[in-house]
Amino acid sequence: MRNVERLCLAHFWVAFAAFLVAALLGTWQMWVRSPLGANIGTPGQYFLSVTAHGVSMAYVLTTFFIMGFGYFVAVTALARPLPGKAWAWGAWWVGVIGVVMAVVTILTGQASVLYTFYPPLTGSPWFYVGLVLVVVASWVWCVLMLVAMTAWKRENPGRPVPLAMFATVANAVLWLWTTVGLAVELLFQVIPAAFGLVQTVDVGLARTLFSWTLHSIVYFWLIPAYTAFYTMVPRAAGGRLYSDTMGRLTFVLLLLYSLPVGLHHLLMDPEHGNGTKFLQVLLTGFVTVPSWLTIFTVWASLEIAGRLRGGRGLFGWIAALPWERPMVLATGFAFIMLGFGGFGGIINMAYGMNAMVHNTAWVTAHFHLIFGGSAVIMYFAIAYQIWPRLTGREYASLAPLRLQLSLWFIGMMVMTLPWHWLGLQGQWRRVANFNYADPLIAGWGPWVIVSLAGGLTLLASALLFVGNLLALHRSAAIAVARPLYALAVDPPQRVPAALNGFGLWNVLVLVLMLIAYGWPLAQFAIEPSPTAIVHRVQ
Amino acid sequence: MSEPRTSEPRVLDQPWRMWASVAVVGILLFGVLLGILIIPIVQGRSAGIDAYTAICRALGILPGSPARPQPVSAAPPTPVSQVVWTPQVLQILARGDTARGHAKVQEVCVACHGEQGMSPSPDFPNLNGQSGAAIYKQLHDYRTGSRTNPLMTGIAQALDDPTIPDVAAYYAGQPKRNPSPASLGELPAAIVQLVELGDPNRNIPPCAACHRPGSGGPIETPILSEQVREYLAQQLRMYASGERRNDVYARMRVIAAKLTPAEIDGLSRYYSAGFR
Repeated sequence: MRNVERLCLAHFWVAFAAFLVAALLGTWQMWVRSPLGANIGTPGQYFLSVTAHGVSMAYVLTTFFIMGFGYFVAVTALARPLPGKAWAWGAWWVGVIGVVMAVVTILTGQASVLYTFYPPLTGSPWFYVGLVLVVVASWVWCVLMLVAMTAWKRENPGRPVPLAMFATVANAVLWLWTTVGLAVELLFQVIPAAFGLVQTVDVGLARTLFSWTLHSIVYFWLIPAYTAFYTMVPRAAGGRLYSDTMGRLTFVLLLLYSLPVGLHHLLMDPEHGNGTKFLQVLLTGFVTVPSWLTIFTVWASLEIAGRLRGGRGLFGWIAALPWERPMVLATGFAFIMLGFGGFGGIINMAYGMNAMVHNTAWVTAHFHLIFGGSAVIMYFAIAYQIWPRLTGREYASLAPLRLQLSLWFIGMMVMTLPWHWLGLQGQWRRVANFNYADPLIAGWGPWVIVSLAGGLTLLASALLFVGNLLALHRSAAIAVARPLYALAVDPPQRVPAALNGFGLWNVLVLVLMLIAYGWPLAQFAIEPSPTAIVHRVQ
Repeated sequence: MSEPRTSEPRVLDQPWRMWASVAVVGILLFGVLLGILIIPIVQGRSAGIDAYTAICRALGILPGSPARPQPVSAAPPTPVSQVVWTPQVLQILARGDTARGHAKVQEVCVACHGEQGMSPSPDFPNLNGQSGAAIYKQLHDYRTGSRTNPLMTGIAQALDDPTIPDVAAYYAGQPKRNPSPASLGELPAAIVQLVELGDPNRNIPPCAACHRPGSGGPIETPILSEQVREYLAQQLRMYASGERRNDVYARMRVIAAKLTPAEIDGLSRYYSAGFR
């Protein structure tokens, strides 16, 4: 077991080191774009920083955290050794080498292409090869998760897979589907272009392939948070999970409907017809369903806990919840941010309303609130919850943990609510500076300063987070291993095979993707569009 | 209570498999029907578009929206340059023969641009280490009349098509002199700021956004480092007055018109000193 703990910690520390660097860069970016730091740094430095911030937060923090958490769940929820431990370590090394390659190319200014893959702009080929290595490492993880679940099912015929593992494997399956679009784009379009093997690139095709990955990747990042909602939160609150079936249904729906919807990122693009966009927007509507199910189920589970703790009346159970526990506190914060971010997202997915907020700070606000807010605060909570298990040590006090989570919540709200407002006023994103002397833009200044205050709060919280974990490593007390995962009110004895595996859902994902992405992709082969000259960052 | 037999996984699973498939495929077909047939036909009818065209537009087979008639523009396009960057043109450029280019340079270009691309006169630009694409575009623009010059128009028109990439390749391959960063201290900070940050107050983007050692702007963007100072100043003034007009989207005309004479002078000095 020691070895698995080291494996998990190795993953988590890569993730959190990248997170800390990215938090510093993010704050610097906000400062130079604000009236306080105007004209400090060049646009080149700004875009280099945005690239490093995005790659660290979106690819390194997420992928390594999810892999580490997956290994942890596979061992603890299935209560059996991790299969292929050597493979897992090998994948870690491959991922780390990939990260180093990406970091070096970014820092030398050869990859200031942001963290999206939108040709004809291309950076150093080694930047892309590095990121491909990170993805390859995550594929090894996916296979190991599938192998672990299959082996457990063989040893436990007819028994339902523990929900935490079912969710983790749902994420692995989702990730395998998700990365197809990006892998095809990188391997067949972007990397040949970056190496200079081809001089032109079909931009429409590249954008369509990236959209395949672009939405579902967010659910890959979010599923660990949902896993914690269903399995760890009810236990931490001292109650039970309201419905195990609802959890399984949620993860299945996330797998089904986060994939055939990416075209809503291309609503303003000319290369697709209105009809195909409509279909994917309609399907996008269904991706909200698992979130509604989750809010209902987790809320119900918390109510059970609150009433068990003596809460009375319509709302009395809320006050009775153990908010002093980091996992419960983080869940409360995550739900508030998920609420604001979710409603913002529903606006983004609507064709007409999207036209008004497209490419504005609204979008940046939305994904910071959903990912940086809801998902990452749950990453913190998960880390806090499992760190005593990994280190065999106990926190001296939970107060710094609560302070850190509170600072993150306050910082994220103070940063992103002004961004939403600025987006509505038309503040564009992806620019290095604003001209506050322009009377139209001058009015944005105070709001930008408010959001900078939020950013500084987030930086303080990020530092405190890493400090809290480091402090635990030095803490002397020995932890008593507490149960991690909640029992359901009505623990399942048998579940239908559909809710105990992914065969049926893979077939349905295939059908959805064939219809939703078949024609949008086929049209590029039937009638090739004019290609663009590759533009290389040097 | 004994477990009823119907809870066997296989029996349990059958309705799941059926109803999940029906629901997922049903929603999908509903979306297809609505998005590709019903909405386009109904929208098209009120816009005076026949059903077939509307469906083709919804699928993206025909351009335009099913809900609106496609606007027709009567204005003929008048590009400022006839050069189009296609893969074929890039291949032609890549195949430029420096030996043939050298021969042509000695025959035609040497008097004004020098054998190594170092101009002997402040009126003519240095061509050593210039981007091949930039030389190619300017020569073509002289041939087609997009750019005019009493000397160059005639010379470019006398060149035959295959020679142009050869000359471009030859000059592009000539080394730059060593830049002399010692003189950076003499440049006013305002000029350095104009290069690196532009002037948002006047909507002037940073020069360095496009003019970089490698590519920054469009492929035809010339490399300015170590260019002849007087030549740079003259070109900026010609852009500002509109006398030179072969810049696509009038990018340089818009920018140059906003520069003061002192800035034109400062920027020319900046780049002639070798800064990128």
